[in-house]
Amino acid sequence: MRWLLILALPAFWLAAADSDAGDSFLLRGGTIHTLSGAPIDNGSVLVRNGKIIGAGKDIAAPKGIKVIEIKGLQVYPGMIDAATEIGLAEVDGVRETLDIREIGRFNPQLVALTAVNPSSEHIPVTRANGITTAATLPQGELISGQVSLIHLDGWTTDEMAVSRTAALHLRIPSIQVSTRPVQPEEGAAPPPAAAPTTFAAAKQNFDKQITELNEFFDSARRYREAKNAKAAGFRPDLKLEAMIPVLEGKEPVLVTAIREREIRDAIAFADKQKIKMILCQAPEAYKVIKEIQQRDIPVILGPTLELPLNEDDPYDRAYTTPAELQKAGIKFAIGTFSGTASLSSRNLPYQAAQAVAFGLPHEEALKAITRNAAEIWGVGDRMGTIEEGKWADLVITDGDPLETKTQIRQLFIKGKAVDLDNKQKQLYEKYLNRP
Amino acid sequence: MKTLVLLTLVCTAAVFAADPPVLIQNATILTITNGTVKGSILLENDKIAAIGERVAAPAGAAVIDGSGKYVMPGIIDCHSHIMVDGGINEASVSVASMAGIPDVLNPEAIAIYRALAGGVTTVNVLHGSADAIGGRTVVMKTRWGKSAEEMKFAGALPGLKFALGENPKRRGNPAGGVPPGVVELRYPATRMGVEDVIRQAFSEAKAYRANWEEWNAKAARGELAIPPARDWKLEALVEVLEGKRLVHVHCYRQDEILMMLRVAEEAGFKVRTLQHALEGYKVAGEIARSGAGISTFADWWAYKMEAQDAIPYNAALLTRKGVLVSLNSDDPELMRHLDKEAAKAMKYGGLSEAEALSLITINPARQLMIDGRVGSLEVGKDADVLLYDGHPLSNFSKVLKVWIDGHQYFDRDQDIADRPKQEAERKELLRKLGGEPRRPAIEGGTERQTP
Amino acid sequence: MMNSIMKAWKLPALFAMVLAAAAAEGPGTYVIRDARIVRVSAPALEHGVVVIRDGLIESVGENVPAPAGAWILDGNGLTVYPGLVDALSTWGIPANGNGRGGAGQGAAAARGPEDRPLNASWAKAADQIVPTDRSIQTARDGGFTTAVSFPRGNIFSGQGSIFNLAGERAGEMVIADSVAQLISFRTNTGRGFPGSLMGAIAYVRQIYSDADHYKMARAIYEKHPEGLRRPAYDRALEGVLETSLVLLPAETNVEIERMLAFARELKLRAVLYGGHEAWRAADLLKQANTPVLVSLKYPERSRDADPAQEEPLRLLQFREKAPSAPAALARMGVKFAFYSDGVTNPRDLIRAVKKAVDAGLSEDDAIRALTLAPAEIYGVESRIGSIHAGKIANLVVMDGDLFAEKTRIKYIFVDGNRFEPLPEEQAARTGGGAR
Repeated sequence: MRWLLILALPAFWLAAADSDAGDSFLLRGGTIHTLSGAPIDNGSVLVRNGKIIGAGKDIAAPKGIKVIEIKGLQVYPGMIDAATEIGLAEVDGVRETLDIREIGRFNPQLVALTAVNPSSEHIPVTRANGITTAATLPQGELISGQVSLIHLDGWTTDEMAVSRTAALHLRIPSIQVSTRPVQPEEGAAPPPAAAPTTFAAAKQNFDKQITELNEFFDSARRYREAKNAKAAGFRPDLKLEAMIPVLEGKEPVLVTAIREREIRDAIAFADKQKIKMILCQAPEAYKVIKEIQQRDIPVILGPTLELPLNEDDPYDRAYTTPAELQKAGIKFAIGTFSGTASLSSRNLPYQAAQAVAFGLPHEEALKAITRNAAEIWGVGDRMGTIEEGKWADLVITDGDPLETKTQIRQLFIKGKAVDLDNKQKQLYEKYLNRP
Repeated sequence: MKTLVLLTLVCTAAVFAADPPVLIQNATILTITNGTVKGSILLENDKIAAIGERVAAPAGAAVIDGSGKYVMPGIIDCHSHIMVDGGINEASVSVASMAGIPDVLNPEAIAIYRALAGGVTTVNVLHGSADAIGGRTVVMKTRWGKSAEEMKFAGALPGLKFALGENPKRRGNPAGGVPPGVVELRYPATRMGVEDVIRQAFSEAKAYRANWEEWNAKAARGELAIPPARDWKLEALVEVLEGKRLVHVHCYRQDEILMMLRVAEEAGFKVRTLQHALEGYKVAGEIARSGAGISTFADWWAYKMEAQDAIPYNAALLTRKGVLVSLNSDDPELMRHLDKEAAKAMKYGGLSEAEALSLITINPARQLMIDGRVGSLEVGKDADVLLYDGHPLSNFSKVLKVWIDGHQYFDRDQDIADRPKQEAERKELLRKLGGEPRRPAIEGGTERQTP
Repeated sequence: MMNSIMKAWKLPALFAMVLAAAAAEGPGTYVIRDARIVRVSAPALEHGVVVIRDGLIESVGENVPAPAGAWILDGNGLTVYPGLVDALSTWGIPANGNGRGGAGQGAAAARGPEDRPLNASWAKAADQIVPTDRSIQTARDGGFTTAVSFPRGNIFSGQGSIFNLAGERAGEMVIADSVAQLISFRTNTGRGFPGSLMGAIAYVRQIYSDADHYKMARAIYEKHPEGLRRPAYDRALEGVLETSLVLLPAETNVEIERMLAFARELKLRAVLYGGHEAWRAADLLKQANTPVLVSLKYPERSRDADPAQEEPLRLLQFREKAPSAPAALARMGVKFAFYSDGVTNPRDLIRAVKKAVDAGLSEDDAIRALTLAPAEIYGVESRIGSIHAGKIANLVVMDGDLFAEKTRIKYIFVDGNRFEPLPEEQAARTGGGAR
């Protein structure tokens, strides 16, 4: 009988954990960077059923729990890439692998998660460098769809989903005057035929777009009114239905705006439509600091490793913007905006590190790719720091993850140890051993 | 700052006197070829004059306190397209060796200054990859403020760009079918055709060379004959055959790498560098035996089918198998932080710090056959020197000063100090030319900006 | 008003009548007395006399007796200048008169320099003059008596001809039928080589190399054809060999340096045209002894540009300093002349020259650049360009200084024929607005 009991204990322990809830374990003896307080030397993190129970200096290991010794190692919250195309694109040059951009200018009903490929090689490659979560963005003119927040692990997209509809993605219209090159290079793509070549025409285009955008929002408001009032003849409309959480302030709008004028237009639009806004990319945000400050608008900055927009901009313009925003008290996260190629999501920490070289405090850089990203995306209660109640999204390293030569030792998503292997590692090993 | 420097240099006398000597003291000096020296380095008369624990300052020397700072040789980018006017590809034909970068250099491209601020002092400026055999290439130094001629790396061998794989066959096999108005597609459309184009071209070059040899013989005999006409396209190929022009081959897949090595051997020339060669690691042994060097990306992948098997371990694996490897940028943004890229070869594949730094200094110097002049801090080499506020391979460090030939071309402090002046000058000019652009008002918002 | 009448009638007859009325007198004997004579090749005479007979200047001086029967003009208060010269023009040659040299419609793409794309080097402007072309009268009424016009539209566009801006038959107007080859770097868009600036430059190099070879090969063959393969006839090369002077485009400092090096390498006798940034390269131009044709279309911000688009300091300086280029050239002793560069209203051209004067060019040098300098550059200084006995009688008589806004042109003499400007021309001048 006793045998049965002893055998039953681990079974009970396992049974208590559902398949979804991840492991239970104790990380012991490393430096814990909770990002909610000072780092804990020689500390431990206790995880039960995929959730963090606590982090501290002396945590007793509950009976039967797996203990993972991490002497000399560092523990950080899993990194969050606040803006990517991950899962929506496999190979830039192969159209069939791209699901980023749908036809149409008003598509609030489209959801990025639908198109995410859980088998994308980008997922194992990215998480191998400590990134556990990514926001993946549909793109397009005006309203391109819903941004989805995903864990970089899961058999299916349902398992990966953290937040199916984390924000509506709006590309604020801009005034674009097309300049036809005097001597077009043979074979170079010609500018789109309808592209306006005068400021007047471009402004007209822009005004039309802004008007249509406002009208769309207004029609969504009327739809909601009619729906709530159960008006006679009311018929559900998928597009307008998708706008309701935005109108009710329950879902933010991620607004991509590049130039100062666009940022100002975005702010004006958000003021007018009374919506919760997150500024996206905004490399010229430093020109609009006051307005951003006043309204407490969070910003997801584009990659730091980027050329200045204007010829006369200081060479380090993109490197110093994060520090400038931080000094002004503006909350920001950093996104790689990667699909593929050079702006690979796995290099997220190095985007943050470059800002440190040019004035951003180290701690703030870490926050920009963990805690701040979580908070901006509305999941600050679930991830971004190592605190009780949050998911055990953890990365164990042999050093500072912002430094390139640091190796990732282990990665946990919702407490489950994630395989750090990927096709690239496999190819390396295979050809290393080629006779 | 940059334009002010430009104007200042133009307004002062054309001949510029030799720079005073520069002594950097108490720094950590990463020589690349002779380990690390904690001490001083002296730049004098365009060259590195001394390196050591203690070096005396000659009269008139500018002395720089290098405490806590690092010194390393200027970075060499083996693959770039900056400073070129009017397009980097002569893409109408598959063999464009009559055309070349030296004819279209733009020394005022801001990309040069930005690269300089990132520590790049020597650049291998290449023709693009639209042609199986592209145009002529040239090695430059980022001597910001000088003319194109003055920026050329004197004595460096010229090069010729080749391209294999997807890019040179794009016009033979366009995505949307035959474009309107195009009568004939440009050969080749397959990798088979790419090989054919190269073989045919060298066959033609050899016939051309034979014609000249025949005429030379006739002329020597006093026989009457009309000499062949100079064909600039074939002249470049003959220079390749004679080893006077280095061959840089853009390639991706292992099969095309091996194809190129075979074609070169058959034709009788050597491939100097295989550029990108993202699958190079698969045939590292073959590459090592051929003597060709590899100039590759640290970790780019997934942008084309032929880049699908790219791995960030490429540089490390090839290095372990005895290949001379450099890291390049092929991009005006990436070239600003090649030092940070080099650190990736430590992370992926375990290269040491010294090996990683070599990827962007002595290795590309050897590949371009300029290692007698640059690529390491050695007495007698060109004074192309970088001063950092931290270890170059750390993501938290940055370039403070750059010297080329002992002349300071970049100073971060000066750059920052000059910004208000430049801004004032711009405002003044806008006023003179009539009207500063109005600050945009916030539409319908609560604030209105006054112009 | 006259403009619309002309347009409405479109009758050559009417035009001829008007022309006849304007050209009241054929080449006879004219005397202008007591006028300010700006001789250019000698100091100005405050109260001088010019005698014109049979199309030539017979004498100039302070006390020159008037021949019997001469038409006498009391020049009190009037100023006489040599007829103005447009040093690189399209006047007199209708725009569509020039086909694209090289490939016909539907022909195969050019495979390289050997297919001689965009090459009409044999074309002569003298063969394309249309004496009734509107531009001739417009220019003449504005004080221009001579144009150096070139065929257009190719890389090797053809040979420029110097001709006077009046005449019934083209041949009679021509002063020199072939003075220089015009080279422009353009791409053969859609028709093969060259597809880039690099390719176009390589092409020009190859052509001149081929031309040298062609000359030598033909010479050898002519002397002794037996046993030799004959060189092919190549009209593109024949055209290039017809003139030794070459016009190369160079607007910016970089282009000037590039073209000087190119001309040096190819051992070409070159003249650069464009010249806006010549103030930065004046010393190099002096060293290379290369004249410059300075465009009177100063670089300007496009009216259609986006006002919020930030322009680099480099570009602003380029624009601001362009009018000072002529003064810099004059100071350095570099020979230069002005050209219209597509500006059609002669009044605007004079205003542009005035701008150069305001930026430091002396009036004397300015007038020289409109008269004797272009003559010297093209080697016809013994024929035109100054008020000197023996030269062709091209003069313009005005009631004040050339650069004063309210000055009106009274008479224009071309080849000793007297013209008066049309009244509408006067209206345009005094009205001050550009048409």
